[in-house]
Formats: sequence, structure tokens, C-alpha cells
Amino acid sequence: MTASVPVLSDTQQVVLIRKLTALADDEIILAQRGGEWTGHAPILEEDIALANIAQDELGHAGLYLELRRALDGHDPDALAFTRSADEFTCARFVELPKGDWAFTMLRQYLYDAYEALWLDAARQSSYEPLAEVANKAFREERFHLQHTALWVERLALGTPESMRRTQAALNALWPFVGQLFQPVTGEDELLAAGVLPDLDAVKTRWDGLVLPHLTVQCGLSLPPAGAEQPGRDSHTEYLVPLLEEMQRVYRAHPDAELW
Amino acid sequence: MTQVHPETQWPRWEIFKQDSEKRPYQAVGSVHAGDPDHALLTARNVFVRRPAAVSLWAVREADILIATPEEAASRPELFQTPGEAETYHVGVKKSHKRSMTFVDLVGTVDASGPGDALRQAKEQHADALAWLVFPSSAIVRTDDDPGTVESWFAPARDKTYKQQQYYGVIGKHVGELKRSGRMPGRATEEAPGAGHRGDDHPHDAFPAEQTAHEVKR
Repeated sequence: MTASVPVLSDTQQVVLIRKLTALADDEIILAQRGGEWTGHAPILEEDIALANIAQDELGHAGLYLELRRALDGHDPDALAFTRSADEFTCARFVELPKGDWAFTMLRQYLYDAYEALWLDAARQSSYEPLAEVANKAFREERFHLQHTALWVERLALGTPESMRRTQAALNALWPFVGQLFQPVTGEDELLAAGVLPDLDAVKTRWDGLVLPHLTVQCGLSLPPAGAEQPGRDSHTEYLVPLLEEMQRVYRAHPDAELW
Repeated sequence: MTQVHPETQWPRWEIFKQDSEKRPYQAVGSVHAGDPDHALLTARNVFVRRPAAVSLWAVREADILIATPEEAASRPELFQTPGEAETYHVGVKKSHKRSMTFVDLVGTVDASGPGDALRQAKEQHADALAWLVFPSSAIVRTDDDPGTVESWFAPARDKTYKQQQYYGVIGKHVGELKRSGRMPGRATEEAPGAGHRGDDHPHDAFPAEQTAHEVKR
């Protein structure tokens, strides 16, 4: 490792910790939703594929939380498995129940496109540890995106039933998607320092990639944009039961050394 | 031949994996998929999330002609199987060991059809346990541009638990646990072997019996 030791001001550190946690929380919750399909996906091959994707997302959360640990010493497992719903900072978009296969694939697609483009931009981060993580995770995200784009296309162009379900999924997800592009409090300063990507630029690229795919390629109709989304401290009613299940084993065995 | 149920079953694709540029493509198993792109994507997930690879081929089951020596003897009409005159890939099965398919693609022949290709395969590899031929035009292959190689195959290099026997207790290498006497229950009576270092070429690195043994437990 030849990473230069980055110097951040105290304020910048606080904001970076906030951002890393938000990024990780999205990944953790989406991974949990993906994991809910294990043993239940339409065919064995897709069961394996979605489990892989979910595991990759969880791995990315681990990368972000290790970056946080380097800043404030918090243990990633403890952060994932002991915080309550009101301490989580995930977007409501990833909390929504897994729904049917169309909903799952479309959400994963919209998220993969966002994450791939964010990571692509983050590879240029002036904060070397983040740039390294982004380089690593970007590769996997590109692959996820190919897989989920393929599924969205096939479902949308498949049968009337699969088209109906895909359009219904888009209608349900669309109001929530904007929250992914909301900056955390104080993010501006890290953008100015070149530590974090410009979310507006990421959104522009996302629009350029996703909108033609959904409409031209897949024949879906874009629902009207949703109302302004609340911040990441506001959650749906689905987060509490999700965390109850996800954290049950860890909370039952807080002193476990081996997993 | 497997019966296909068109309403419920997607076509089956045989997957051939190349571990590195200098190695032959090897049969690793099959996937069900609706179309060629889907076959490659699922194959990547199923077969090369962890093992090393630089390229994958998918070939629809219907495009492959396979015969064992016994089948070749009892059904000579296999060598008359009609089809296009073109270049055919030849695979030979060399071992009955379990847990891997042990079918390597060993080269190509120019043939008047699949039957003729099978005949040439038998002539050239008389001692094989099975021959497999398919036309070159039936291959669906992953792209070899740097972006594809990076996103499809490079991440596997960073993953732990690349082989079945590495799965002990997640978080610690199983050998480490055994050496420190922290492996519960049957740990002490286990055969050696779990302490192997990571290796990307299962055909070379591990006797098949051992791998099968590990799986059986």
C-alpha cells in the first residue's frame, strides 16, 4: 500500500463518517432484501446469482465501514448489528419489502446503475483510501448492472404479465429513487475538497443511462417524479422488522467470537 | 437425452471455462437460461464467482453430440449424425473421478457434420472415456475486452474460500482453528488436507477423491 496519509479537518472527518455510514447502510439493507430470496428465486441459477449480488453489496458495506473504522475506531459488525432503526441512515428505497421478481430486479438495477456511476466517480477521490475501495467495488458493480439490466429488459419485453409487473414495480419505486442522490449534511465541503463525487453529475449520468433503457429499450412509462423525499433519518415501517430479523443472532450472542 | 418441457424449462447450456490463456477450456457444468447472454451471466455467477477464469463459453445442449465408447459401439448411427460442414471443437473425458467433469477441449477438426466430427474425435483420442463435439458457430463467448475481464473475472482473485474445503467456520481459516484446538466436535479426527494454500486450478491442485470426500461430509 502506497496510500498517502490523507489529512482531513475535524469537520470533514465528521461528514465523511456520516457519508460512509449512509453508503454502508444502503448496502446492508439492500443485501438483506436480496438475501431474502435465497432458496426462493425462480430458478437455482438466479438464486445463486442474487445471493452473489447481495453478498457483494454486503462486502461493499464492509469496505465502507472499514474506512470508517480507520477514522473513529468503530467496529463494522457492531455498527451493522447493534444499531436500532432510528440510528440507521439507509434510504427508504432499499427498505421496501422485496416484492416480486420484477420489483427485486428493477430495484437492484436502479441501485446498481447509481452505485456503479457513483463508484466510477469516486475512483478519482482525493481521499486515497476511498479511491482504492471504489476501484475495487466498481468492478463488481459493473457486472451486477449487466445482470440486472438484462433482467429488466426481459421482464419488460416478456409477457403481458411480466410487463405489467415491471411497470407496477417502476411506479412503486420511482418516488423513492431520488433519495439516493441526496447529499448528507455537510457533503458540499467534501465535494469541494475532491473527497466525494458530485452527486448532481452522477445523477446526470444516471439519467443518461437509465432513462433510455427503461423507456426506449424496455418500453416502460416513466411515472411522474415523486415529491421531495425526507432525509435519511426518516424510515418506512419496514425497517424495524427487517433489523429484528437481521440482528437477531448477533444480539442473542453478543460475545460470539466465531461466525 | 434429457426431455425438454418447453413450457417450464429453459434450454440447458453446457459451460466451458478457461482458467488462464495458456490452459484448455474445460467443461464445468451446465446452466438453464433463456438466451445466450443470460447463459453467460448465470454461468459467471454459478461457476466463476471464486475460481480463476479468463473466459467462458456457453454451448446449447442441443448443439453438442456426446458418446461413450459403449454408445459408439452399440449405436454406429451416431457417426452419421447430420449437420453443417464446419470446424468442430472436440472434448474428451479422461477420468471418472468425481466432483469435476474432467472434460477438456483438446482441439478442433474440420468435419462434414457432427457425426463425422465424432468419428475423427474417436480416431484421434481412442482411449477417452467419452467424446464430445460441437460446431464452432454454436459457441457463445464472453467478451475479452479489459472492461469485461475486470468486472467478470478479476474480482474472484480477491475472494476468500475459493475451494470447498476452505469452508470451515466463517471468519477463521479452518486449519487455523484446528491447529489452535478450537475446532469443536469432530475436528480432531479429520484427515489432513484442509491446510492447503489457495490455488486457482482445482484440476491440478487437489486429488478429486479428497474434494469429493470433503463435500460428502
